[in-house]
Amino acid sequence: MKKIKCKFNINGNHKDLLIYEEKPLIYVIRDDYNLKGTKLGCGLEQCGSCAVIIDGEKKLSCNILAKDCVSSKITTIEGLSSNDNLNKVQDSFKKYNAAQCGYCTSGIIISLSALFNKNSKPSKKDILKSLEGQLCRCGSHSAVFKAIENLMKSN
Amino acid sequence: MKNNFLETGPSIKKHNKLTDWFLLDEDNKIKINSGKIDIGQHISSTLALICSKNTGVKYEQIEVNKLNTKFSPNEGKTASSLSASHSGTAIKAASIELKNQFFQYVLSKFDCKLDDIDFENGVAKKNESNEGISYWDFAKTEIYKNIVIKDIIEFDKYSINQNDNNQSIELKTIHKIVTGEYIFVHDLCFDNMLHARLIRPPNYYSRFIDIDKKILDKISKLDISFFVQGSFIAILSKDEFLVSKFLDIIKNSIKWKSTRNLSNKDTFTSIDQNEKDSLLVKDGGEAVFERIPVLKNFDGNSNYRSKTITFNRPYLMHGSIGPSAACAIFENNKYNIYTHSQGIYDLKSTLSKALVTSEENINLKYSPGSGCYGHNGADDVAFEAAFIAKSFPNKHILLKWTREDEHCWEPYGSASINKLTSTIDKKGEIIYWSHEVFSDTCMTRPSVSELYNFVSYKLLNDDFIKRKSTPKTAPHMGIHRNLDPIYNFKEKRLVKNLVHDLPLRTSALRTLGAFANVTALESFLDEMAQLANIDPFDFRLNHLDDKRGRDVLLDLRGQMSLDKEKQGCFRGIGFSRYKNLAAYCAVGIELSVTDDVEIDLLKAWISIDAGEVAYNDGIRFQAEGGLIQASSWCLYEEVKYDTHEIISKDWSNYKIIGFDNIPEIKTSVINRVGYPYLGVGEVVAGPTGGAISNALCNALGQRIKTMPYTKDNIMKELLN
Repeated sequence: MKKIKCKFNINGNHKDLLIYEEKPLIYVIRDDYNLKGTKLGCGLEQCGSCAVIIDGEKKLSCNILAKDCVSSKITTIEGLSSNDNLNKVQDSFKKYNAAQCGYCTSGIIISLSALFNKNSKPSKKDILKSLEGQLCRCGSHSAVFKAIENLMKSN
Repeated sequence: MKNNFLETGPSIKKHNKLTDWFLLDEDNKIKINSGKIDIGQHISSTLALICSKNTGVKYEQIEVNKLNTKFSPNEGKTASSLSASHSGTAIKAASIELKNQFFQYVLSKFDCKLDDIDFENGVAKKNESNEGISYWDFAKTEIYKNIVIKDIIEFDKYSINQNDNNQSIELKTIHKIVTGEYIFVHDLCFDNMLHARLIRPPNYYSRFIDIDKKILDKISKLDISFFVQGSFIAILSKDEFLVSKFLDIIKNSIKWKSTRNLSNKDTFTSIDQNEKDSLLVKDGGEAVFERIPVLKNFDGNSNYRSKTITFNRPYLMHGSIGPSAACAIFENNKYNIYTHSQGIYDLKSTLSKALVTSEENINLKYSPGSGCYGHNGADDVAFEAAFIAKSFPNKHILLKWTREDEHCWEPYGSASINKLTSTIDKKGEIIYWSHEVFSDTCMTRPSVSELYNFVSYKLLNDDFIKRKSTPKTAPHMGIHRNLDPIYNFKEKRLVKNLVHDLPLRTSALRTLGAFANVTALESFLDEMAQLANIDPFDFRLNHLDDKRGRDVLLDLRGQMSLDKEKQGCFRGIGFSRYKNLAAYCAVGIELSVTDDVEIDLLKAWISIDAGEVAYNDGIRFQAEGGLIQASSWCLYEEVKYDTHEIISKDWSNYKIIGFDNIPEIKTSVINRVGYPYLGVGEVVAGPTGGAISNALCNALGQRIKTMPYTKDNIMKELLN
């Protein structure tokens, strides 16, 4: 088990870390940066709870190696807002109370934020594509769609 | 509830001091102590809203403390759709009592009449005076400290300036959820904390034999601890990545010996053939050991027409998105445990027995987990974390199940077979109704007398015995929940069969037996309506006397009639009253079936009566969430296994509904002002099952009797 030096940029916070070569990004986010909003759901890239934005694209952080993200700009759920200024997706989710237990919510917000950052008027197909692989077990889907509908109206 | 009096309910009977429920130690804040936990149903927001409405204090100024066995009232489990009816009623009673006693105190202090008082946001002032007394002043008095809430209280004794029932609230948890600051048990972090993972055997009946010593040498160099007792194995490290990384490597270096197979037969053959206890279910839903009447046969009588049908439901999993987790520390001979168990007080006494210590040495704190839909792995993992913690004193142990642990080791919702026979007369009236259900137990929560219901208690003791469950007999308990129909059928034959020696671990999953029973009942009602050539709505209404039940059906019919049915789309309905004593719900579904035999859910309508509405959106969220989860059960879900192990180890082998098949849902909530609060977490599932089954039958022209309604299952039945 070899350790290597890596430089990360997560939510604009730069850190030099000595990490195991095989360490997935999620453990750097959760343990080395202490950002707990990114959730470990399956560790198999199947549920979407661990979604983050890497260089503008939604990626699942549970299997991606941290060492492969050293030159990337990584944004987690905590990085979407600053000083309680929520981004539009968060704001709409808050307005529509679009969560039940909330475990899957940060992954869903990340997916939609990545989409809306690139396209302020996405089609229904685009939205469903961005939510592909985002699992929710409580059934918050209908509230999420209401939040998205509101978001589309305000854009 | 009668006139202006409120029956304060079972929680107040156990904890009747106002100070059990409220803490007013900080000006302008009411802190609520509840014995229920937020498991996705937003009970803390509902309780704060109830408190706001009945104390006149703003919602924003009301907080709800997380359950802690040091100070929270014991309200039993957060289960069975009782959060609002138990804790909601208790908080309503406590709020009213606070207000009543406060005004009595204020009027006496000011020596004036109620009309002379201005009241706003917890402060009472004498008209045209600056002199005021607040709830928080009152809370410092001996009178407040000794208030006892009676079984029945007057509820609008001082109804001045009450907050109107503003329903546009921000959920108490939502800001932290959307910003990623909401802390789940998985996120806890303490100095010197050890992360733990379990090494599970291949199945329930495997005994630990040996481990490759070279692996132990290797991991000890990385400061990974290996813990084994019996066949219970864990690894621990300060670095979560390391325990995660070495999990499979260690697993592959262990020798196990299987003591028996899971099963050599498929699920439904086992249910059909295995030994069973058969009980008669009486009017009112109680199961009794009485002679089961022979199934009546009306063949040959031209006045009657009969039909028989059999439905199959596979094993279902809770499938929380975040696997079960717990954090425990053992120090100074005491345990402190963070848990997301539904039954924290029950867990405390059970842990006391399992850990061989007194209850005083155990403190449990609720820490949120991922969505909870019944008895999942939360109790197991709390026991496991505490057990491990004893061997690593003075350190917090954060134990997380893996996805595979969760998929393979949680107690599933039982598979079942429902056999129904019914007869109608010439008028289309049901004169005979037989419904037999065959299933495994839905009740294996650990208890002081059933420690072996902790899955790891068995592994620790190398106990591979498969125990026989005892049939539960109370009305609507477990397998026979909602077996007794709410309809006025003339003659009923209801039988509960508890089947033994079935292959998989089972316990309480949302609705227990009600989902299968109501789905079967409501599907078969459509079959009988068709036989009678009567519209399904009319057929149900013809057999239903209960006014509130009729109202939700009529409301649903009205809602559905507003949306025109499109060509190629098919509708079905379902109805139920949960346990025949809780909330009422009718569901309509519109779907289409693609050329590739996939079901597209297009529209859904819900009509629901849950008594007085405490929080309209809370009811809507629960109802719609219940519909979506039940739709997933119907369309996709089945736990697969072979003779040796569970095959459904992750989401690739256990599909659940995604965002791409969510119908447009319209929910109508009927507000019954003055009626008791009724929970809604479970009532929607059964009617949804019925509605989907009926819509699918209308689409295909044939009843599909085996869930899930996958292409394979549908084609098998269509080609048969």
